[in-house]
Amino acid sequence: MKFEVRNGCFAYREGARQILNGVSFALEPGELTAVLGPNGAGKTTLLRCMTGLLPWRSGASLIDGEDIRAMRRAALWRRLAYVPQARGTASALRVKEMVLLGRSGRLSALSQPSREDARKAGEAIERLGLEGLRGRLCSQLSGGELQMVLIARALAAEPEMLVLDEPESNLDFKNQLIILETLSDLAAKGMTCVFNTHYPSHALQRAHRSLLLGRDGSWRFGASDSVITEKSIASAFGVRAVIGEIETPHNIYRDILPVSLLTMELDTPAEPVREETDMETRIAIIGIIVEDREAAERINELLHEFGEYVVGRMGMPYPPKNVSIISVIVDAPEDVISALSGRLGMLRGVSIKTTYSKR
Amino acid sequence: MRPGGKVRRQARREPRLVLPTILRPRAGDFLLIGEEEMLKRDTGRAGKRALSAAVLLLLPLLAACASLTLGRYSLSPGELLSALTGTGNDPQARTVLMNIRLPRVVLALLVGGGLSAAGTAFQSLFANPLATPDTLGVASGASLGAALGLLLGFGLAAVQVLALAGGVLAVALTWLVSAGPQRRSIVTMVLAGLIMSSLFSALISLVKYVADPESQLPSITYWLMGSLSSADWGSLALGAPFLLGGTAVLLALRWRLNILPLSEDEAKATGVNLLALRTAVILAATMITAACVSMCGQVGWVGLLIPHICRMVFGGNNQRLVPASVCVGAAFLVIVDTLARTMTAAEVPISILTAIIGAPVFVALLRRTGGWSL
Repeated sequence: MKFEVRNGCFAYREGARQILNGVSFALEPGELTAVLGPNGAGKTTLLRCMTGLLPWRSGASLIDGEDIRAMRRAALWRRLAYVPQARGTASALRVKEMVLLGRSGRLSALSQPSREDARKAGEAIERLGLEGLRGRLCSQLSGGELQMVLIARALAAEPEMLVLDEPESNLDFKNQLIILETLSDLAAKGMTCVFNTHYPSHALQRAHRSLLLGRDGSWRFGASDSVITEKSIASAFGVRAVIGEIETPHNIYRDILPVSLLTMELDTPAEPVREETDMETRIAIIGIIVEDREAAERINELLHEFGEYVVGRMGMPYPPKNVSIISVIVDAPEDVISALSGRLGMLRGVSIKTTYSKR
Repeated sequence: MRPGGKVRRQARREPRLVLPTILRPRAGDFLLIGEEEMLKRDTGRAGKRALSAAVLLLLPLLAACASLTLGRYSLSPGELLSALTGTGNDPQARTVLMNIRLPRVVLALLVGGGLSAAGTAFQSLFANPLATPDTLGVASGASLGAALGLLLGFGLAAVQVLALAGGVLAVALTWLVSAGPQRRSIVTMVLAGLIMSSLFSALISLVKYVADPESQLPSITYWLMGSLSSADWGSLALGAPFLLGGTAVLLALRWRLNILPLSEDEAKATGVNLLALRTAVILAATMITAACVSMCGQVGWVGLLIPHICRMVFGGNNQRLVPASVCVGAAFLVIVDTLARTMTAAEVPISILTAIIGAPVFVALLRRTGGWSL
């Protein structure tokens, strides 16, 4: 399913500050997209508008080219699932009952859920490994558990796209990782996933694409590496941040660290920083070890996408360890190289390392 | 996500799926650790559920039968059966039963079940454990209608029609008031209901103030306290269809009621037409409560008490909770009404009894189960 927003504009009142200003983007199946921005930039508003929970002032959301306003509500929510932020719930429902509620869009108004619906809900629970929680009361779950239950409820509807509002906020490291792993996993299996986040590093490390909203209604959308730069973060958040790489034996992780404030005033938008495009190119060797056969195909697709920059490639299988070893040489602007290596590194079962030329 | 999880689950589940009943391991057979416990729990749970369903259905029936035999003119079970089937040779017993006791017991069953269903639905709708069937002002409106009818000296049927109309009018006003230029929120609805309730209560006081203290005032006051003593087939014919219709709608929607306490976006994102669902629930509950007030005045406590008692016993899932509330509520009101008419020579107003009996039961359950949530 192809999801698209065309020229979406939103303001809470006529003549009030335009929160979303002509936002346009398209999401492909199997892609994880992060929505970033400072408090009050309209992240949640964007999610609500794009799913039709809030009407656009102008512009439209389209699924496979069809305006969602023209779709029947139940039909829309069969393809799209919304996962609210788990703020704790007063609900005295048990987990399996809560997950079963996800089937509502597939049932007629007066009918009760069937055995089949219960089975689908059970599958959603198993898919996220929540079997142990089945009989627990939702009101007694921890934040991380509840968030997983809400994702399971969304999956019970068998959607093609998940929209999540700050799924990893207020969670500890481990639970954040569980949620992010789950999202990556779902995306890898073909689900279109969009999530709001307060953590640019999560977007850098996980999301294929990012949408960065500024408080002045500005926005940029594209591959995470090209959207999240030190300059764009400075202009959107008013914070000087550095992007660096953390190396482990397996992989290189890009991370972003806020260093200092650019403006001391709370929540005032900083002067937009003009970004001069860096046309100078560098040579880099990307060394890749592929442990997962399925990833090989995705790597080929990626190299095709970046074909114009690829100078050469070599690959050899190494049967004793059942891995393939690939080395790719590119000549490209620095941000293109880091985008490519970032996206390669996100694939499952793939370890990469990039070596840059001096100049 | 966790490869280990899947393997473990299958290993645990397989024996249960594969073994035919006759080969099911019995106690003492060699079982994997935890398997015996699981088998016991599984068969135990299904059995327990069937048993509780049977008990719930039998409860109001038994209460009704017992109530039919009790009273100033007491009947033995045998006499009851012959009088019911018309084979007995005691015409007086049949008259008492068919014209006085049976309509009253039927009324108690309907009102108890209906108010409990309406209370359960409103507690979900407003995501508030303190919601009652009267939250939107329906009972005050219906009472005002009835009081007006009594003031104007109308016949009972007309009073009943006025009560129904008053109840619907009050909820319609609440609905209109709460629809501001902004979107309709549940909190504004509760507030609007509160305002309407106090407005209509004030108007009732006004009616009482101008009523003739010798003849009209006592009958108005008695009506407001609630009593099932005026039950007859005529008033049942007028009120019961609304009550049964509303209860049937709530029973049919019972699973959907689980969606109502969720946040607005969450509820909409389940794909349900939230406005239609809310409207249906409000309409159904309004019909039930207005019909109850029109037939027997205000019966307090049932709509608050019974849903909570059932919630503590059967859990928060409305799919089970609504039918359970209907059964328990019906039985409860039959029992309380029987006490009201048999305890003393003069009849005790039923709202007084529901509170006196209900409050201690409620407190006892509260202390034992440690409370409830929606």
